[in-house]
Amino acid sequence: MSEPVRIIERFRVPPGCTLLVGLPDVGLVGVIATTHIVSALGMEEAASVESELMPPIAVLHDGLPHSPIRIFHKDTVLAVLSETAIPAPVVQPLAKALVDWSKNRSVKMVISLGGLPTPERQELTLENIRIFGAASTPTALEMLKNWDVEALKRGFMVGPYALILRYAAESGLDAIALLAQSFYEYPDPEAAAVVVSRVTEMLNLKVDVSELLKKGEEIRLRARDVMRRTQQELNRMKKSQEYDLPLYV
Amino acid sequence: MVWERRRRRDIFDIIDEYFEEMERASRELFESLLGGRPSWDVSERCLEPLTNIHITPDEVIVRVDLPMVKPESIKVRALGGNVLEVSADMNRTISFNDFGITHRRGEFCGFKTKIRIPLPVDMEKMTTKFARGFLEIRLPRKRREGVRIPVE
Repeated sequence: MSEPVRIIERFRVPPGCTLLVGLPDVGLVGVIATTHIVSALGMEEAASVESELMPPIAVLHDGLPHSPIRIFHKDTVLAVLSETAIPAPVVQPLAKALVDWSKNRSVKMVISLGGLPTPERQELTLENIRIFGAASTPTALEMLKNWDVEALKRGFMVGPYALILRYAAESGLDAIALLAQSFYEYPDPEAAAVVVSRVTEMLNLKVDVSELLKKGEEIRLRARDVMRRTQQELNRMKKSQEYDLPLYV
Repeated sequence: MVWERRRRRDIFDIIDEYFEEMERASRELFESLLGGRPSWDVSERCLEPLTNIHITPDEVIVRVDLPMVKPESIKVRALGGNVLEVSADMNRTISFNDFGITHRRGEFCGFKTKIRIPLPVDMEKMTTKFARGFLEIRLPRKRREGVRIPVE
């Protein structure tokens, strides 16, 4: 029986890369951030993600069809990016497939980029948006500490990044999630810029975020439809459970 | 297992089925409201903004994402029946071409949406604020006179 989610490679990626993950979630932070990095570094398409569980979509670029979920490569960086909302039933097999593939291709570390829904986000300016982190292993947790990222110690995570961390933990793969305080239901290019600045600093990459900030309003305009559909899927995943208080103290 | 299949459904099974059915129906309704129609209207030359309604014990707060608009053009009208209409002109006209779409014709010069407020509110006491591309509308909830029960 074939796997529910398959990764079809155009070429074999080198071992030891860092995989950035930008899947649609709150504020589309990960998608906006990863799209900017892929474009700024001029990354090339290395693989596409296929699944019968996904709606029958082809994304047209320059007249040619592509999978909505693709993996890009440049030097020691890989980036997985989705241009459409991920249906809730695809989240689990997709997270599993990405972790298994990362393990098979000797990925050094997985870094998921995203947002942490914050009710008072409207009052936060670019300078005081904070980044929090979560890690899959004690080593990855130590890395967060060294990078001066405050770790989420207790509470619930819901969505693809939660499962990537869990599966990575099970297979001993170092993975972290970098989450900037963000809007829940509106595209948030400012939070994305904060995440891009931090992750590129961590990986010693040169990526300018001024263009991302300049185009912020235009990105918010373009991202409305993906945000709308992502919000539907977040509701199905019961994303609001992230606001719940945990049982044990 | 045969016994399992023949067992009569108990009340919990019926309740579970009821909730599953409700959830399925609400998903379909959500899909039909949001997924089945475009977020743009070529004949009105307008786009539909992202909107969210937040309910607190005292207020209903509506937040509308209005990027690239002229702040002085924003209009909020109470249409009756607890419906608000929000409209705004954009600071430049956007066409399908700007989205890289060449197979459709049409351009957009503003945002427009109608928002149904789900609870009784005092429209007369509505306040609005526009900051950093977001319009915030605050509507005080109408209070029903309750009966005060003393706590022993």
